[in-house]
Amino acid sequence: MTRHTAETDLALYASGDLPVWRKLATAWHVRGCEECRRLVETFRLDRDGLHDAADRLPDDIDWDQLSAEMTANIHVGLAAGECVTPRAPKIETLAWWRPAAAAAGILVLVAGAWWLNVPRSDTETIGRALRDMFTGQRGSVAQTAPQEDRGPMVGASSAGIELVENGGRMKIEQSGLQPVMYSVSTQGSASTRWVDEDTAQVTITAVYVQ
Amino acid sequence: MFSKSIPRFIPVLAAMLAWTAYGQSLNHKIDLPKDSPVGLLSADFGNSNVIARGGANQIEVNASLSLRNSSQKRIRSMTLMVYAQDGAAGGKGSVAVPTLDAAPGETFSIGIKTLLVRPLASGTPAVEVKLDGILFDDLSFYGPDTLHSQRTMTVWELEAQRDRKYFKNLLETAGAEALGKEMLASLARQGDRSRMGVQMVRGRATNVEADRELQFASLDIPESPIELSNGLARVSGNEARAPRFDIRNRSNRTVQHLEIGWLVKGQQGREFQAASVPGDVKLAPNQSGQMTQDATLRFDRPLAIESMSAFVASVEFADGTQWVPSRSAINQPRLRQVVEPSPEEQHLSQIYNKKGLQALIAELKKF
Repeated sequence: MTRHTAETDLALYASGDLPVWRKLATAWHVRGCEECRRLVETFRLDRDGLHDAADRLPDDIDWDQLSAEMTANIHVGLAAGECVTPRAPKIETLAWWRPAAAAAGILVLVAGAWWLNVPRSDTETIGRALRDMFTGQRGSVAQTAPQEDRGPMVGASSAGIELVENGGRMKIEQSGLQPVMYSVSTQGSASTRWVDEDTAQVTITAVYVQ
Repeated sequence: MFSKSIPRFIPVLAAMLAWTAYGQSLNHKIDLPKDSPVGLLSADFGNSNVIARGGANQIEVNASLSLRNSSQKRIRSMTLMVYAQDGAAGGKGSVAVPTLDAAPGETFSIGIKTLLVRPLASGTPAVEVKLDGILFDDLSFYGPDTLHSQRTMTVWELEAQRDRKYFKNLLETAGAEALGKEMLASLARQGDRSRMGVQMVRGRATNVEADRELQFASLDIPESPIELSNGLARVSGNEARAPRFDIRNRSNRTVQHLEIGWLVKGQQGREFQAASVPGDVKLAPNQSGQMTQDATLRFDRPLAIESMSAFVASVEFADGTQWVPSRSAINQPRLRQVVEPSPEEQHLSQIYNKKGLQALIAELKKF
């Protein structure tokens, strides 16, 4: 079966507008194909005919006016076609994955914001309160946290020492070392003692209420 | 509308979230007075940073300071004050090295690892490290003493002198083997000591449970300039508050400050030093008085307090000199099990533990 060259290429070939390589390939094909050669000849004749007709047009034609009229006629035709053609109802299909992806994204965002912004102790307290609410138990929050503290707090534990005062928090720890001693003082300080295993140097860190 | 617009916002919000977690660099300042007996050789704040966490800045200070003793005397201990420069209230921290012993011209380093959580404020967060005090081997002191470091460091030094003298005497009279045994006993006591996380709240931390009055048993040290005659605290649940002691000055000098050790025994029978009760008093010879503190001691685990004891840990006289219990006093079986060893004893026992008896003997011969 012979594969013919596309009509658009033949038309461009007839007017000499094809790029060099496609022009050579088309010329090779046209030379051996009677049907395509006839089409090329027809395009050339049409082109010559249009040139002749253009020469016979009056000089005062308003091309812009003509273009506007043609565009308007096309729009009128399209509108008329819409009126007479029965329309199938358009069904808005909502892809299932979009709300799911949005919900998952929001969930990740909220979890990230919570992790970054809410202190762990608060999270634990809320968790305990929710657990108590669902299990019907009472009091586990009150057992682990006092209802109200009047003053600043200092604390000392194996994790280090901490001061909580006026919305600020100060914590001192020593990397990779376990404290050998920790203590608090009733005048509002906490201290802890660390011993460097290699140098035997003792370091004492402390926090103080202002 | 919903399904198209929300996913487009998510990367934007996630980027904003990631920005809040991004660490900023930290401004820092090291303030050593011009006439300071130590000079700063270098300061490495390499791993320090600031991370915004909600309505607060989390400031991580990881610093190492290299210093040199530029004085003509041996430095026995040093205290540095660490605080945030945001002007907001929220406390101060300190890092002290009680067993430093730096000779004139000697270089030494001090590490600082602190986490500060401060309310968000305009400007770059900054941390200042300031010299609070230096104690020399002749008990002379240099520094602004904002944190009352002089008193604390003097107690450490007196305890160090006491313990070194005790171990040196043991070596001379009973030999190296006896010294080794004593060190092993010290390490065993340190490892065996009960500890519990404690919190101290100024004022009263309100607890719903009714409280009861519990009396302190006084662990009298006959040589102590202060006699503890009576003590009470209110106890409820795992809290004890408002300690009160009746005291009498039985020395011939005026006392201006004292510190009482507060021991707690739970129902499980374990006794431990829970807190110290320092207080400024003005007690003339033979004068009696009362020392009270409006504070609440709280334990981080449930503890049914069975009994409480107290002993005089240190006394400061009006002339600035201090008294600490002698080695024979703290070697009483009752105190020996609960009183914390001095920083010097821990330093020496660690040398023995890590480097052996000969290294310990060489250390004791230094001074």
